[in-house]
Parts: sequence; structure tokens; C-alpha cells
Amino acid sequence: MATQPQPVPALSFPRPIFAALSPHPFLAAHLASDKAIRANGRKPQEFRTPGINTGSLTHCNGSAVVRLGNTAVVCGIRAEILRAEDIANPIVTGVRREDEDGEEDDREEIEGLRLLVPNIELATGSAPSHLPGSPPSTTAQTLVTRIRSLLISAHLLRADDLRITYAPPVPEDLDTPDVEQEEEIKGYWVLYIDTMFLSLDGAAFDAAWCALLAALRDTLIPHAYYDSDLETILCSDDPSQARKLKLRGLPVPSTFAVFESTEGDKEGDSEREKAWVLSDPDAFEEGVCKETVTVVVDGSGGTKGQSEENVRKIEKSGGGVIGRENMKGLIKRGVERWGVWERVLNDK
Amino acid sequence: MAPEAVLSHLHRADGSATYTYNGYSIIGAVNGPIEVQRRDEMPEEATVEVNVRPAVGVGSPKERHLETLLHRTLQSIILTRSIPRTLVQITLQVRSLPADDTSTGVNTSLTLLPHLLHTSILALLSASIPLSTTLTAIPVAIPSSSKSAPLVSPTANDLLRAKPLRSIHVFAFSGDRKLLLNESDGAFSYEEWDEAYEAAEEVCCREGGVRLGEGMDVDMDVDMDGEGKVANLEAWLREVVKEKVGREQRWRVAT
Repeated sequence: MATQPQPVPALSFPRPIFAALSPHPFLAAHLASDKAIRANGRKPQEFRTPGINTGSLTHCNGSAVVRLGNTAVVCGIRAEILRAEDIANPIVTGVRREDEDGEEDDREEIEGLRLLVPNIELATGSAPSHLPGSPPSTTAQTLVTRIRSLLISAHLLRADDLRITYAPPVPEDLDTPDVEQEEEIKGYWVLYIDTMFLSLDGAAFDAAWCALLAALRDTLIPHAYYDSDLETILCSDDPSQARKLKLRGLPVPSTFAVFESTEGDKEGDSEREKAWVLSDPDAFEEGVCKETVTVVVDGSGGTKGQSEENVRKIEKSGGGVIGRENMKGLIKRGVERWGVWERVLNDK
Repeated sequence: MAPEAVLSHLHRADGSATYTYNGYSIIGAVNGPIEVQRRDEMPEEATVEVNVRPAVGVGSPKERHLETLLHRTLQSIILTRSIPRTLVQITLQVRSLPADDTSTGVNTSLTLLPHLLHTSILALLSASIPLSTTLTAIPVAIPSSSKSAPLVSPTANDLLRAKPLRSIHVFAFSGDRKLLLNESDGAFSYEEWDEAYEAAEEVCCREGGVRLGEGMDVDMDVDMDGEGKVANLEAWLREVVKEKVGREQRWRVAT
């Protein structure tokens, strides 16, 4: 009874097990192949297609849901009133009008009074590494700091949009028409910008920022006025009197991750070393890439983003592959990506 | 004009350094390689932990962001694979900030970052942690008026006088002149970024380049040859390490 000899099982794993056991060689094998395609089926330079839905939350002044592959973010903006008498050290007392070109240095006003309060939360189960019930993780805190710093440095919001002013009536017996009527600030709108990650699959900053941008563009601020008889600020409930925020520009971030073929300390075989710059990395790629670059580009100043001074922020850390020459290419890729986001944000 | 550094002055830590420059003073301590918590242990690499303590109060999200940046940068230069399953713990305490630090109108974490990087590299050197390379970092500010040149390594007072600023950049270079870290903020073009890069590289690691402090203010380099006899930051770092090694080898030399 001679049985057929069983073929020795080859030492091979199915795809997901190979990826989980040795993620670095897994991605290296993909990229080093002739087609040079990433494990998620994208080309190294290919971004994910964004999807936006605005106005999905009814209790917010503005909201947006942004999807970027498997990354899904909800952003809600709530405006609340800060009364002028509650401000301990007023930074500006009188109303300053904008210059002709609409540029006004209102950074101190917005930053000093903390009129913008961004917050980021990772939902339970949004990412495997995120443990529910713990205090905000370092990832979340880092993201909030980056979002806040970009909000302020990009001068996105105008203090003029957030002020609640009151012009006291000129006494009729005083016949001085040439004296300009002095407006005084009675309060400010404070915007609470809460961002929630429903699912986190890489490029967290891009998704969070674009959700915030879409939500801000969707925000309606009710008409608020000071009632001198009641000595308080009242809001009109007429939706036709509500106004939108006038944002300055449209800064859009693009994140890149650098994947190096040699893992860890690269001593010796430097000639075999190769690096790929992956656009819009997902969570798996972020796990194996050490160096990341985020470029924030605003092309709204000129035609097709070719204007001068179109970069708003560059953040690069974790390695030394991206140097002076590569950065030019990344800014170009960022400008192209800006066009995609601009189309999506404008015709949602 | 060169930064001041005191190495290995804390006796309980494995390595320590105090760094003072332009009104910034930071104490850094490194413990490592030490035992790592089970949860953070990595089978093939050392875990790097960075703690940043502000000058006043407890840590905020801003410090977490700085910690993340430092962690990513230091992890790329520490030879983590040669000391696997251990922990390298870096604690940085900001001791004092320049008086005008908050009124300059620029992001204060950007102006602090290069000094934190220098302190941590000095502390790591003092603790003899295996490193693949050293690093030097520098801030560069571009003022709004188009005629003025970039301010390299400005003091808080320089920033206050140059207000309003258009953009501020922080560059960190490795020993082999690769760009390890870059944080740029404001409105700028690639050409301006490139110009800032060049200016920063010049001060950090150019061979026989300009001295730190030269070029930004002509009136200031009167006492240059007495105090700051460093060609660049790289050379300064080398000088500090030379001094440290010299002190450690004292017992040999004295005989």
C-alpha cells in the first residue's frame, strides 16, 4: 500500500500574514517589483480620492465629514459668545478697520483671546493602537497643536468676522456730523472646532485639516447685536440674517512618507539602499516609514497655484532622505494636490 | 557668540548637559540603556522616550508636539538596533527663556526647538549612547520687508525688532549634512525656503564658513576672535566633545 508521498508544504504565507509578520520586507517587495506598486494598490505618487459631505450635523453652526480612503473624520463647529466684560485684559478696545487690501494683523486678537478652540478626539475603535478610555494620546495632542498652529499662522479667519460690535446712537443735540461714530466691541464669537476620527487609516493631519476647512466654509454665524435696553447681546433667529465666514485663502496639506529599502541602521551596503516617497500614506505604511513630510500649499493667490509664496508650512522629521532638491518636487506634488482638494471643496 | 555647554554635571543621571544660548537655558538628562517597561519593549530596537518640561507650569499639548518632533529626530540618529530591548530616556527641563520670548509673535515652540535639539544631543553624547551621527540645528527668520536678508539664529530681541515676520524656519542637519528636520511656518516660496536653507547650512556645517553671529550684524563682530572662535556649529560641537574627552582622559595624561 504505497501512498503518494505528500508534497512538502512550501514555506510561504498568505498575504495578510506576511504583512503582519514582516511589514518592512513586505512593502519593500511590492515597491521593488517591476510595477512599483504599493501594498494598497496605489502608485507611489498616487493620493487617495477625497470625499466630502457638509452640513451633516444639525446642532452645529457648521460641520463636515471627510473621507480619505479608510480615514473618516467628522468636524463640527460651534460658535459661542464671549462677552467683552468677561475679558480680563482686553487686547483691542476700539474697532480697527481693515486696510484696502483686506489685510489686517489680527493674529494677536485671535490668538490672545483664544477665539479658536480646536480639539481632536479619536473615537473608540478608530485605530488598533488607540486604547479607549485613556486620556488624550500623544498623537491627538500633537495633531491639535499642529492644527492650531496652522490655523493661526495661515491667518485663515478674520477677527472682523468674529467681533460683535455696537455703535451707540449719536445724541441729537450734539451737532457734530463730522465726528466719526465710534463703534465699540461688545463681544466675540468663539469657535469651538471639534474633530472626531471615526476611523484612522493614515494621513490624519490632511483629513482633519480638510474637514475643518470644509466645516468652516459651511459655518453660518447668526446675526448678533447688542441691545442697549437689556444691556446684553442678543442673537437674531432669522436665518436670512446669518452670515458666512470669509476665510483667507485655502491652505491644503499633503503628507508624504519616505520608505527606505534597508531597515534600521544602514551601514555598509549603501549602494543598494533605495528610498521611495509615498504620497498620502495609510496606517500600514506610516507604521514602517520613519520619515514623514507635510507640505501645506495655498494656491488660491494666483492662477493654478503658480503664484509666489504659495507655501504655508513645511514639517519634516524622522530622517535625512528628503533634502533640498526633493523638497521642490514635493511642493510641486502639493500644488497638484491642492487643485484636487479645491475642486472637491468647491463642488461638494 | 557660541552657545555655552556644561556636560555631565548631574551625578545621578547617566548623562547630562546644560545648554545656554541667547537667553535660552535648558538642562538635559539622559538615562540609558535601562530596563524598559514590558508594554514599550521592542524586540529589535531600543525604545526612546523624550520628556520636555516647560519653564513654568506643567506640560501642555505644545510640549507633546515638541516631544514628538524630538523623538522622531533622535530615534533616527540613535543606533537603536545595537541596544535592543532597552530604554533611552531623555528628560529636558527648560530653565529659562528670554524675556521677550512670548511677545515676538512667532510660534514659541519653533524658537525653542533648536535649543532642545542641541541640549538632547549634548546629553546623549555625555551618556555615551551609540549614535550614527551628530546634529546641529538653527532657526532662520525672514522679515516682511523684501529687502532685508534672512535673520540667522535671531535672538528674541532681533525677532521683536524685525516684526512683522513673514516666515520662520527651523533646520537641523546631521553630521553628513543631510537635512534631518525642518519646520517652516508662515508664507513663503520655494526660493525663499531655499535661501533660508542655504543660510542655515552655512552656519551649521559649512567648511570654513561664516562664524555664527557674523553677517547678521556688522557692528557686533568686534570681540569675535576672543569669544567665539568657532567656524560653525558643527565645529563647536566637536570642541565641546573634545573638551569632555580631554577631561575624562585626565588621569592618563597627568602621569
